[in-house]
Amino acid sequence: MNNLCADIGYKSINHSGEQLCGDHVDIINRDENSAVVVLADGLGSGVKASILSTLTSKIISTMMADGLSLEDCVETIAATLPICSVRKVAYSTFTIIHLINNETAEIIQYDNPLVILIRNGKNYDYPKTELNIGGKKIYKSVISLEENDIFVAMSDGCPHAGIGTAYNFGWERDDIINFVETVSVAGYTAKTLSTIIADECDKLYGFEPGDDATACVVHIRKREPMNILFGPPSNRDDCDRMMSLFFSKEGKHIICGGTTSSIAAKYLGKPLRASLNFEQSDVPPIAYIDGVDLVTEGVITINKVLTYAKDYIDDNESYTQWSCKRDGASLICRLLFEEATDINFFVGRAINPAHQNPELPINFNIKMNLVKELSECLRKMGKRIKISYF
Amino acid sequence: MKVTVCIGSSCHIKGSRQVVEQLQSLISENNLTDKVELGGTFCMGRCQEGVCVTVDDNFHSVTPEGTKDFFEKEIKSAVM
Repeated sequence: MNNLCADIGYKSINHSGEQLCGDHVDIINRDENSAVVVLADGLGSGVKASILSTLTSKIISTMMADGLSLEDCVETIAATLPICSVRKVAYSTFTIIHLINNETAEIIQYDNPLVILIRNGKNYDYPKTELNIGGKKIYKSVISLEENDIFVAMSDGCPHAGIGTAYNFGWERDDIINFVETVSVAGYTAKTLSTIIADECDKLYGFEPGDDATACVVHIRKREPMNILFGPPSNRDDCDRMMSLFFSKEGKHIICGGTTSSIAAKYLGKPLRASLNFEQSDVPPIAYIDGVDLVTEGVITINKVLTYAKDYIDDNESYTQWSCKRDGASLICRLLFEEATDINFFVGRAINPAHQNPELPINFNIKMNLVKELSECLRKMGKRIKISYF
Repeated sequence: MKVTVCIGSSCHIKGSRQVVEQLQSLISENNLTDKVELGGTFCMGRCQEGVCVTVDDNFHSVTPEGTKDFFEKEIKSAVM
């Protein structure tokens, strides 16, 4: 065991005019430290391609996660995929990244562009073995993982981007490598990095993609705990207990809520200084307490964080907002989405009588729902979440 | 003179941002920046009366519309 973990994210763009994507990514976590990621690209585009790639990725990920051999997986796919009536073949290319105990990656590639591995910020040429399974030429590699390894798997829509328009031969592998080397320095999450790559493809296609294009990023990183305190405890006598549990935890500390931060400031014996800087944002300004990494207002800020979180797991269009703004919600987003891997929520269930006014959109139920929805979103991002109520 | 405006949830919804921005510009228009210290605070515990503002520890309930009057009466006349 080590303290590494995998941040996995992907983004697809569709062939212009198609509602469905012919590429499909499937991720299965067999346990906390092992995962199977399959990127499949079905023949053609639209419905047919979507069915082929979905079947392929689902079958492989499920079988691999249950420990079946690669030969069995490939055989099953060959026997299962429906045959295209036009082309008389059943065909879907695939890339498998199998992470074992967060120590080893087994990469199996069939006809997709070869996986790019960025190690220490530079392209790393890993060894490949050629296998022949059922007449298919398949490359297999086994790689020992290191911190900050970044794997980029793609469908052929990526290197084909811009053929004949932006570039004579499309977005060539060396250029993609250069691009990834440059942007990966910024420390984006896997989801954001894959979005940046897919957006670049879209741009090269002149926003009318001639093929489905998908980028899937696996970023190996250290576990990073983070603690977030939200709301005062329902029983006043629990304040000290809640604070001592919260501050004894390893990792950064975020405090959300006016009353909550006053309690924390009193517990620490430090002044609470609120700023008046509105940062061109609709959330209230942040505040400062010595010894606390971030202090913000409560419900309105968290509500904004939830909006960003929902977008992040969906289209990831608003990362351009939260990844650079300085308001409370954006700062929380960067800590939770980018830095944290293990998040401890300390949620107080006190009811603020002043908020129980039907005209105010911040009553108790809304607060509890925010926690529930936000933790659900964070789980979908692959974070480990623990919630304690007080 | 120290003027403190609540920027907690409830007062934020009731318009503390507009109050702060108006006060900031009124204070600089009247060249009072070295006489009036404008600060923020989280909840003062009197949310029903928001937007909560204190002037040297005296509590006032201010609305965005009434900010100018409040400034003339409580701040400008007191320091000039």
